[in-house]
Amino acid sequence: MDLSGQYRIPADVATVWAALNDAEVLSRCIPGCEELEKESDTEMAAKVALKIGPVKARFSGRVKLQDLNPPHSYSIVGEGKGGVAGFAKGGADVRLTQDGDETVLDYSAKAQVGGKLAQLGSRLVKSTSAKLADQFFDNFSKAVAG
Amino acid sequence: MTQIKMTVNGKSATADVPDNTLLSEFLRENMRLTGTHVGCDTSQCGACVVHVDGRAVKSCTVLAASLEGADVTTIEGIANGKDLHPMQAAFKANHGLQCGFCTPGMIMSGIDMVNRYQAEGQALTAEAIRHELEGNICRCTGYHNIVKSIEDAADEMSGMAQAAE
Amino acid sequence: MSDGIGARVERKEDKRFITGKGKYTDDFRVDNQAYAAFVRCPVANAKINGIDASAALAMEGVIAVHTGPEMKEDGIGDLITGWSITSKDGSPMQCGVWSPMVTTYGRYVGDAIAIVVAETQAIARAAAELVELSYDELPATVQVEAALADGAAQVHENVPGNMIYDWEIGDEAAVNDALAGAHHVTEMRMVNNRLSPNPMEPRSAVAIFDEAEDHYTLYTTSQNPHVARLVLSAFYNVAPEHKLRVIAPDVGGGFGSKIYIYPEEITCLWASMKTGRSVKWTSDRTEAFLTDAHGRDHVTKATMGFDANGRIVGFKTDTLANLGAYVSLFATVTPTYLHGTLLSGCYDMPAIYGNVKAVHTNTVPVDAYRGAGRPEATYTIERMIETAAREMGMDPAELRRKNFINEFPYQTQVILQYDSGDYHKTLDMAEEIADVAGFAARRAEAAARGKLRGLGYSTFVEACGIAPSAAVGSLGAAVGLWESAEVRVNPVGSVEILTGCHSHGQGHETTFAQVVSDRLGIPVDNVSIVHGDTDKVQFGMGTYGSRSGPVGMSAIVKALDKVEAKAKKIAAHTLEASEDDIVIENGEVKVAGTDKSMAWHEIGLAAYIAHNLPEGMEPGLKEAAFYDPLNFSFPAGALICEVEVDPDTGVTDIVKFTAVDDFGNIINPNIVEGQVHGGVTQGIGQAMLEQVVYDDSGQMITGSYMDYCMPRADDVPSYALDHNATPSPLNPLGIKGCGEAGAIGSPPAVINAITDAIGNNDLQMPATPLAVWTALQNVKTSMAAE
Repeated sequence: MDLSGQYRIPADVATVWAALNDAEVLSRCIPGCEELEKESDTEMAAKVALKIGPVKARFSGRVKLQDLNPPHSYSIVGEGKGGVAGFAKGGADVRLTQDGDETVLDYSAKAQVGGKLAQLGSRLVKSTSAKLADQFFDNFSKAVAG
Repeated sequence: MTQIKMTVNGKSATADVPDNTLLSEFLRENMRLTGTHVGCDTSQCGACVVHVDGRAVKSCTVLAASLEGADVTTIEGIANGKDLHPMQAAFKANHGLQCGFCTPGMIMSGIDMVNRYQAEGQALTAEAIRHELEGNICRCTGYHNIVKSIEDAADEMSGMAQAAE
Repeated sequence: MSDGIGARVERKEDKRFITGKGKYTDDFRVDNQAYAAFVRCPVANAKINGIDASAALAMEGVIAVHTGPEMKEDGIGDLITGWSITSKDGSPMQCGVWSPMVTTYGRYVGDAIAIVVAETQAIARAAAELVELSYDELPATVQVEAALADGAAQVHENVPGNMIYDWEIGDEAAVNDALAGAHHVTEMRMVNNRLSPNPMEPRSAVAIFDEAEDHYTLYTTSQNPHVARLVLSAFYNVAPEHKLRVIAPDVGGGFGSKIYIYPEEITCLWASMKTGRSVKWTSDRTEAFLTDAHGRDHVTKATMGFDANGRIVGFKTDTLANLGAYVSLFATVTPTYLHGTLLSGCYDMPAIYGNVKAVHTNTVPVDAYRGAGRPEATYTIERMIETAAREMGMDPAELRRKNFINEFPYQTQVILQYDSGDYHKTLDMAEEIADVAGFAARRAEAAARGKLRGLGYSTFVEACGIAPSAAVGSLGAAVGLWESAEVRVNPVGSVEILTGCHSHGQGHETTFAQVVSDRLGIPVDNVSIVHGDTDKVQFGMGTYGSRSGPVGMSAIVKALDKVEAKAKKIAAHTLEASEDDIVIENGEVKVAGTDKSMAWHEIGLAAYIAHNLPEGMEPGLKEAAFYDPLNFSFPAGALICEVEVDPDTGVTDIVKFTAVDDFGNIINPNIVEGQVHGGVTQGIGQAMLEQVVYDDSGQMITGSYMDYCMPRADDVPSYALDHNATPSPLNPLGIKGCGEAGAIGSPPAVINAITDAIGNNDLQMPATPLAVWTALQNVKTSMAAE
């Protein structure tokens, strides 16, 4: 599954970059996030409760940041396991561009799901993911602007 | 655990069950009424249809604990002693079943649709029966004889309803 | 006799089903019962490095967690294949090892890795979620065409290039010559979509180990309990046959998928011994999608050549068959001897060649599903001939008639010899019922409403009752395909029939009783049928391949012959008449032309009291027979489908479906028609609705009825049926088998009708609204380009 999007965030690139690397900010913005721990500068562990179609589960996952080019771009790769609900793994390339007072964030993501998530919910994964991404960036914009 | 009390096939039934016990599990495991079948996990197949307070319900979608005081009828409870319900008789007469697994749900849905259409004074056409059976899957019969069975039973049941008036 | 052969007797078994008193495997609750759930491979290909069951074992109510390596240590065998195929170069087939539970590699999503046994089903399932797997995910091969590509991921190390076999049938050189000289050649690529059989009752097993007796009992959802016992004993080493009882009680449909002995049954038996508990496992629907053997999944390229008169001169097919991650019990024979041998269809073809390459992929095993190989052959042939007719500007029915086989027995170019038939009359009858003459007017009327009408044919022949045993043995079968029966006339004159066949919807309790009623003149209510229990019934082969009629009932007839002969001797002795003068009429054994007679209860009583039997006769009246057929039987039919397509949406309605079949003699028309209704509906499902989809990584994304589209009542029409019987000369009842015909013949009729409506032959199954709409747009685009 491929997903991409663009968001305008009312802050400069440096602020956005810092927030994107701030576990506390992220944990507030990720929908359903119950726990987010920064294990190193490039690694985080998270617990997220999600509902996709008929599948509801608590996913625990690890995220790694790669190809860091602060404050302009990085790649995220990660994998989350939701027990019998299945798993999701994938990656996203994130790019920040200053545009006046704002930052334009572009991302393109690839994801693969397995288990019940695939068997029962696959047709809903894309729309749910897009909705979750919108929620995240909505929260994120507010957090950064605030 | 939750204590539940309901009426099943005219008899009072009481049990302590885990909160997440489905009506289908309660009927099959606690009541040992195994005529109610479970053919899927997503409420599509309809093999588990029973009547709750006179309406068809998929028993795999209802928590037993939510039915305090309800009146539940299963496939085991529709015959009048040795006399088959007209819907049961029609399924037999029209070869409306093969492996028999979906049959309890089909019969319970069939009775419900006939009752609803008769209450509304509407004709239950073959087309309407096919539409109404959206929530009941049969893999054996191709539905041809199920539709005939429900049509026949509808006639019989309307005759009985008129005779009663 | 009103209960006899040909009567529309209401089914004897129905009462328990319509009152909710049927007894299916999951309905049994036995002493000391625990419940099992399986931990399954989450990805399509993985090396399993370790299993951590500590959290699961710590859960209250969990009894044990066991794994594949432990099973191997206990000597439980690997799963077997029941039919060996030899490649065209003479080499034996290659297939990967299938252990009941994974020892090192998990090769499809759903491959069993561990069994969790607990006090309740809910606990077992919850605990299975807590079992932690550590694994390395490996690249997977999913699609059949990709499996043979260079660099494709290997499913098994010992199967290079994923090729299980490369098999051929017929004369390739003769076909090439014929095609080179043909007046017209039609070529097509066709996908026979992957299906999940979906009997409404999910698979289930209750395994009971009795330590004191060192004995096992298995209740299971099986179409063939004796074969299950044999295989569980001889190959999986669960227990010797006399220490293992297999009971297949009421079974809620099979369609082939319950022929096989799956890892779960084997594992539950073993786990019962390990835990000292009775172990019950019942599949949920998603588990059924993941682990029940699938059907079809062929890709075929076909070429058919015609002379200037429209006669077929040669037919060639190249087929890729996806057998999945492991070779299931009868998987290998489906694309070969059940498919390649049917390539002549009902046509006189002078030259035929078929090549089949069977491959492994990281998907659930594929095996026989209603029709097994014959639907694939029929689809190829019937789409080819209809398309060829359109290309040559001929009427598709006339092109068929030009090529029909007219004389029987008919020896095809691909092994089989057809027994009997009258294909012309069957097609004439179907055209009459379908009112083909009025189709042009209906099409015009539909066009006026903005709808597209189409008419499609399928004239098919199939082969039932795989036989004889020696012949199938020479072709690689590991078993013989005979059937057994025992007829017991009780002292009171009632009759029990013990049959090796198994009824899971077919109504044997009625039809088999009708055969007895017809022969002995007693009511069907005085006959009971015993089946499905290895402790009660002699060895038998079970029910699949439309065999219970032609083979199973023939065994009953053979046993009845013996009963009748003995009864006549008893009657002749008692009535002081010559044995030659004894006849059986109206339920009595009589001296012809006199009023001297004995009722069956008098015969029975005489046989068991045994005070006055002929010199040297053994007491009792019970006879057994094993019947090995002389040949397959060859049911055939003509199906005509009429559809209406909404060009704006691609939504297709089947407005009329006509089926005229030749099943030979019919025992009970109600039951035979029911088989056709169900079979055709499954065929319509294949043609328009059903498809198992794996994504590129091998995850199944159609794992429930939300995404796998089963035919519902308003997807299908009421059917118009008739019969044109030409009795089979090869079995005593002249019957041919009817269980699979509908599923075999119907898919091409549907697709031929839709392609007729939209004017584009390039359409694959399932013809969903999107597929039909897209094919319509392609016609418009190509017309615009011209």
